[in-house]
Amino acid sequence: MTANVLILCAAGMLVTAYLMVGQKALFTTIRLFGLQSLLLALVAATIAIAESRHELFITAALTVTLKAILIPWFLMRTVDRIGIHREIEPFLNVPASLLICLGLTVVGYRVSTGFQEGAREVGHHLIGVALSLLLIGLFMMVTRKKAITQILALLTVENAVFLVAVGVTSGMPLIVELGISFDVILAVLLLGVLVQRIVGRFESMDISRLSKLKG
Amino acid sequence: MDLLLWTLTVPLLTAGVGGLGGPRAFKELTMVGGLALTFGLCLAIAGQFLAGSTPASFDDALRVDGLSALVLVLCGFVGLLSGCYGVGYLRRNERRGLVTPRQRREFYGLIPAYVFAMLFVAMSNNLGVMWIAVELTTLASVFLITFHNRDTSLEAAWKFLMLGSLGLAFALLGTVLLFAAGQGSLEEGMSALNWTRLVEVAPRMHPFTLRLGVVFALIGYGTKAGLAPMHTWKPDAYREAPSPAVVLMAVGMLNGAMYCILRIHLVSTAALGPDFSAGLLLTLGLLSVLVAVPFILIQWNLKRLLAYSSIEHVGIMAVGVGLGVEAGVFGALLHMTYHSLAKPVALFSAGTLAQLHRSSDFDEIGGGTLGRAPVSSALLVLSAVIITGSPPFGLFFSEMIILRAGFAGTHVIATSVFLAALVALFCGIAFQIGRVVAGPPPAPGTTAPDPERFDVALATASVAAVLAVVSAFYLPGPLVALIRAATAVVWGRP
Repeated sequence: MTANVLILCAAGMLVTAYLMVGQKALFTTIRLFGLQSLLLALVAATIAIAESRHELFITAALTVTLKAILIPWFLMRTVDRIGIHREIEPFLNVPASLLICLGLTVVGYRVSTGFQEGAREVGHHLIGVALSLLLIGLFMMVTRKKAITQILALLTVENAVFLVAVGVTSGMPLIVELGISFDVILAVLLLGVLVQRIVGRFESMDISRLSKLKG
Repeated sequence: MDLLLWTLTVPLLTAGVGGLGGPRAFKELTMVGGLALTFGLCLAIAGQFLAGSTPASFDDALRVDGLSALVLVLCGFVGLLSGCYGVGYLRRNERRGLVTPRQRREFYGLIPAYVFAMLFVAMSNNLGVMWIAVELTTLASVFLITFHNRDTSLEAAWKFLMLGSLGLAFALLGTVLLFAAGQGSLEEGMSALNWTRLVEVAPRMHPFTLRLGVVFALIGYGTKAGLAPMHTWKPDAYREAPSPAVVLMAVGMLNGAMYCILRIHLVSTAALGPDFSAGLLLTLGLLSVLVAVPFILIQWNLKRLLAYSSIEHVGIMAVGVGLGVEAGVFGALLHMTYHSLAKPVALFSAGTLAQLHRSSDFDEIGGGTLGRAPVSSALLVLSAVIITGSPPFGLFFSEMIILRAGFAGTHVIATSVFLAALVALFCGIAFQIGRVVAGPPPAPGTTAPDPERFDVALATASVAAVLAVVSAFYLPGPLVALIRAATAVVWGRP
């Protein structure tokens, strides 16, 4: 039962990542990220119940409040304030992107077999999904032009790291986890402020226009 | 409260007071006083360490051994220099009426905050705490990069924050994987991530997970150090940030990131033998030195030139450690020390020239600065001589130690390439600096630069120059003892 729930949630996270790659409306992409974080919290909570590791409940609670509610809300407010709602054509079109992501997933799963826990059924899926998410996040980062999408790509990478932390270790020490969450939210706030300044200056959040500095 | 906590509290309080506001003289006094006190405390910690104790606090999450003590002293020193220069820097801009109240608050708040984060990095004995501290340095520097609020500063800050955050996400993954590799051997709780603990259990770690973790962590912290190919944020950030902040990045942050890399290297060495991470460091270091060559030759901006020089120097340190012999490690740490003494001079004099000409682009500065700003130009030439590793100055000795270790060891081809790159870099920097300082003066009719005045900033630069020259002939005994202690730590004989 536990194994099924875990695999379902992990698979759900992967699906949201694929949908984010295929999506152009910024609001939907942000909501998808929120959903992804919610699923991550579910993974943490399920492990917490199954293995009675109560400190993981705190991880789950932090993930829900910060990454599923607070950060999406903040990003949506930023999008609303600057009034740009759609991603422009990315450097690579959607079908090609999805195909590449498929390849990345295969790579992620292949690497995951090397882990100690990779031999076990559930661990294998969690690590495989996490590594695939990581690669997809990186891929989104290099192919998308909008500042907000790049932030979401970065956050996807961070979700992948947390999935590894939850799935493979007994959970990071609590103080460290609190510190990391604090830093992540601070980074997103700063990025949001920067996006607003960039839009105010360039009247666009097309990152490919930021190309004056070379050499 | 113990010494370690005081050393962290003082710059943090300084940042708080500076960020709040108040009359200018009060803020200047607070910043310089606070940073001087911080440097004093760093020296006191190093003294305690040399006297034979290992200062620690918070369940060993903060702990100072030889390596930490060396980095602490260097960071504290650079923090103080940057603070003094910063006062003069801002005064010059004030005189031209360029400074808004918000900028003033940002400047006096963020510079001590940056120093705080750097010292926090250097003290951390816990991989998690170390990660948090490095992220804090990143966050503290973003608004220093956007300080001048130009189009290009936003671009530089965006690239810096995205690349830095990505690097840190990698470093976090590396940390998690290192932690995962030790599952079963490590207990629960905070101390499980202490690197002293990780080194103890390292031989029993799962090798595949550990290897992956080391690669991710080295790439992640390598991004912060500016090792190629993750160096691209550096030139942009150096050009845009005000010079006092650039000094903190170029010396403080560089040393801090090197510290993180060395910690990861230690865990990797304990578990996988010396070759794995050393090989990676050698490759990345060599790549950094090589990447710097073409960009220095075609460079169009003075501060970007110094950024590539900084990429070169971090590359040299990585090569020194990557050679996998004790002499190489000693050379790398000596290089770190001399670099920390010499780089501020270069950045201060370049910063002054840039400020007088209102731009750091070669086109705007024009040639022949020696006639217009003799002191800064002379200091720039002197610092260029030092940072290119010319005899009789310190960086020459450290580079020679690394080269000798390389030729005596197994990496002869790599060392030959390294030597060739160093020679090319020497020529490149000499050419570019010569162009600025001597070169034909700009045509009459272009806007005249401000005259050079002897102010706090120039005085700081001169003092730093004197220290850099003196250090070539005389390094204080305790400092040498610290370098030796740090070498012992990195070489695995704590």
